Amino acid sequence: MLLKRAALLALLLALVFCAVELLPGDAANATSERGESAADIDRRRALLGLDRPVLERFWDWMSGLPTGDLGTSARGEPVTDLLSTAFPNTLLLGGIALLLTATLSLTLGCWAALRPGGRTDRAVSGTATAVLALPEFVVAVALVLVLSLWTGWLPAVTLTDVDGTPDSWTMLVLPALALTIPQTGWNVRIVRAALADEARAPHVETAVLDGLPPHRVLTHHVLPGALPTIAAGLATSTGMLLGGAVVVETIFNYPGIGSVLASAVTDRDSPVIAGVTALAGAVITVVLLLADLVRDLMAGGRR
Amino acid sequence: MDLTRRQLLCTGGALTATALLGGCGDGSDDDTAGSPGAGTKPRRGGTLRVGALGRAGAITRDPHGTQANESDYLILSLVYDTLTVPGTKPNTVPRLAAAWQPSDDLKTWRFTLAKGAAFHDGTPVTAADVVFSLRRLRATPSGASRLPGIQAKNITADGDGTVVLVSDYPNAELPQLTRLTTFVIPEGTTDKDIAKAPGTGPFTLDWFRGGNARLVRNDTWYGGDVHLDAIEVKIFESPQAMANALLSGQIDLASNVGAVAARTAANRGDIRTVRRPNDMAMPLVMRTADGPFADPRVREALRLAVDREAMVKQVLSGYGSVANDILGTGDPAYAKDIPQRTRDLARAKRLLKEAGFDTSRTYELLTTEDISGLAESATLFASQVREAGVRIKVVKQESAVFWDKTWLKGDLYTTYWGTNDSVVFFASKTMVSDSGQNEAGWQDEEFDTAYEKAMATADATARARQLRELQQIQHERSGYLLWGMADGIDLAAPAVQGLPKLPGYGRVQLERAWLAR
Repeated sequence: MLLKRAALLALLLALVFCAVELLPGDAANATSERGESAADIDRRRALLGLDRPVLERFWDWMSGLPTGDLGTSARGEPVTDLLSTAFPNTLLLGGIALLLTATLSLTLGCWAALRPGGRTDRAVSGTATAVLALPEFVVAVALVLVLSLWTGWLPAVTLTDVDGTPDSWTMLVLPALALTIPQTGWNVRIVRAALADEARAPHVETAVLDGLPPHRVLTHHVLPGALPTIAAGLATSTGMLLGGAVVVETIFNYPGIGSVLASAVTDRDSPVIAGVTALAGAVITVVLLLADLVRDLMAGGRR
Repeated sequence: MDLTRRQLLCTGGALTATALLGGCGDGSDDDTAGSPGAGTKPRRGGTLRVGALGRAGAITRDPHGTQANESDYLILSLVYDTLTVPGTKPNTVPRLAAAWQPSDDLKTWRFTLAKGAAFHDGTPVTAADVVFSLRRLRATPSGASRLPGIQAKNITADGDGTVVLVSDYPNAELPQLTRLTTFVIPEGTTDKDIAKAPGTGPFTLDWFRGGNARLVRNDTWYGGDVHLDAIEVKIFESPQAMANALLSGQIDLASNVGAVAARTAANRGDIRTVRRPNDMAMPLVMRTADGPFADPRVREALRLAVDREAMVKQVLSGYGSVANDILGTGDPAYAKDIPQRTRDLARAKRLLKEAGFDTSRTYELLTTEDISGLAESATLFASQVREAGVRIKVVKQESAVFWDKTWLKGDLYTTYWGTNDSVVFFASKTMVSDSGQNEAGWQDEEFDTAYEKAMATADATARARQLRELQQIQHERSGYLLWGMADGIDLAAPAVQGLPKLPGYGRVQLERAWLAR
């Protein structure tokens, strides 16, 4: 399982290298200054090794991976330096958002499941559908407008301190909410559906017929069976959270991986893009493995 | 919507008026009337929080590197000094070089270093440091265009206090070349240590992290009083986020934030809009060497077909001024007496007919979305010239493709320049026949002669006459259609005083800023 996922990640990285290659222009060109002659640009192209075949460059980059060497950016900065504060910041933001998403969607999903078909259930499901259709940037802009510019309750953007982390925890609130809200919409639907599926299982019916209180049925009989699906849903969210972070970070000026990635794409900077992909891929892989683990454990418990 | 627009125009008008009035003063400290502290003596102390645009992936710490980020450029120019800096009039004023003197043939220029100039570690600045720095700058990939006509071997020291630059050709405006990125670092600084190199500037670097920095006052700066205790530079990827930070009080100054943000802040009484006129030129380039626009009558027709007022109003939201097809509008030598070209569709049509211009064809106008307003200018232009019978289709190209395939080569495309404000800069860089960035492929013997003559004329009045002739030719038949100039726009909290008013790189001159609180 682990091997398969690792191979998939390597393949993904190769694709990223090739995709950058397919974009018009290259790093030497994209990072040039107006007024540089063609010869100057060629000189830098050679310096960056861009005159070599893409597969060779990819292999070079990959062979540095085991030692933690992610290569050098087109502007000469070590990629690990570029990512060393940005990536933990994104992980922090994504982690908070994931935790919030999990808590909110479980609470709301269970709340709705306890009143199947009732007004609450319909309201929760309906709102969830509407919310999940909202793109992150709409949510983000609305949040800034209402919670910061109008009311002045929270800071509008994230400013960083000498150590590269957000100045104060209040600056995390809005970006985390902007990521959480759409993802909660998505996960509430999954939790609710998984619970409904599980509620039709024979052992749950037995429990209900035994006259157990609804809460007990939910926590002891329905939820355990639904957990693997819920975990898988949250795991999928991790990818979407990291993707959404790129947009949300720009709006809130959050010092994360998003801005690094965006400018790396503009610069055709394959080592940086691949570095971001590798780290994000590794995180998603770990989360997916955790979800698999949950499934195996649950299945084991059932056996 | 209507109301906001009208309000906006009013605010705009009022601001222009005050800016103009302010400009009539001695230019030292002219802030918008009504803001607290205006007209009073600068107060010492305080920390100014400045937002500046930049991309986290494009950070550079090298004062001679490619500064794609405004944030980096701002930090570097507060820590390091250039030989000269932009001024109002004349447009080149002393900094690390206290004075300069040309030889009679205007080829050899001697720069005397300012008294008391020292690096932040206390070591005095010597000519050797300057020579080392200029040669290092010359050795960068774009060094040849940063110090045109000055070879590395012709940058030498004469004793400790004088630097001698020898140009390949007579150049009356050479000191102007030293305004931009001639940052001075100690002799012998290696590339490895570049981020730690001490500067000589008004501020010393306290810390730098990911494009953000804190700078503290250099109490022993040779250049005069610095009022602020510290400046904190915050990097922003988007102008909108920067404007939000200002609106919510997280920063005091949003540097070069642009017209869109200014519009957002227009109805906020507590935010001041600082307009720096003649900041950005975004002309259309018509290829003169060959192609459909090679006939000067066709180019003249297009220049007559454009509605300049409408362009400024719509493309720049009114934050700009109408221009007259001459580049270098901020220059004291700019020829204000050449009559302003205005829209004349009848004459445009007549000229097109005379030139035998094929009006049944559709022509492509290539553009990018590199800066805001650029693609919009192309679209509006296309719809305006349709009234003169010219059919134009706007093609937006991705930035890298545009600079690679279209720039310097295309028949009709948009370009932009925000780096300099002088007539000579544009003439030497983009218009004389052998210039490296001749955007329109223009070759005009008369223009070249006028340029050479101006460059070889030491007397200022005589040179101004030559420069006027240069501009007259450009106005008549160059490959440029310059419809307007965009203002540089900063947004500031009311307490911020003494902000720079100059266009282009003038915006980074924050050493005289102070806080009225």
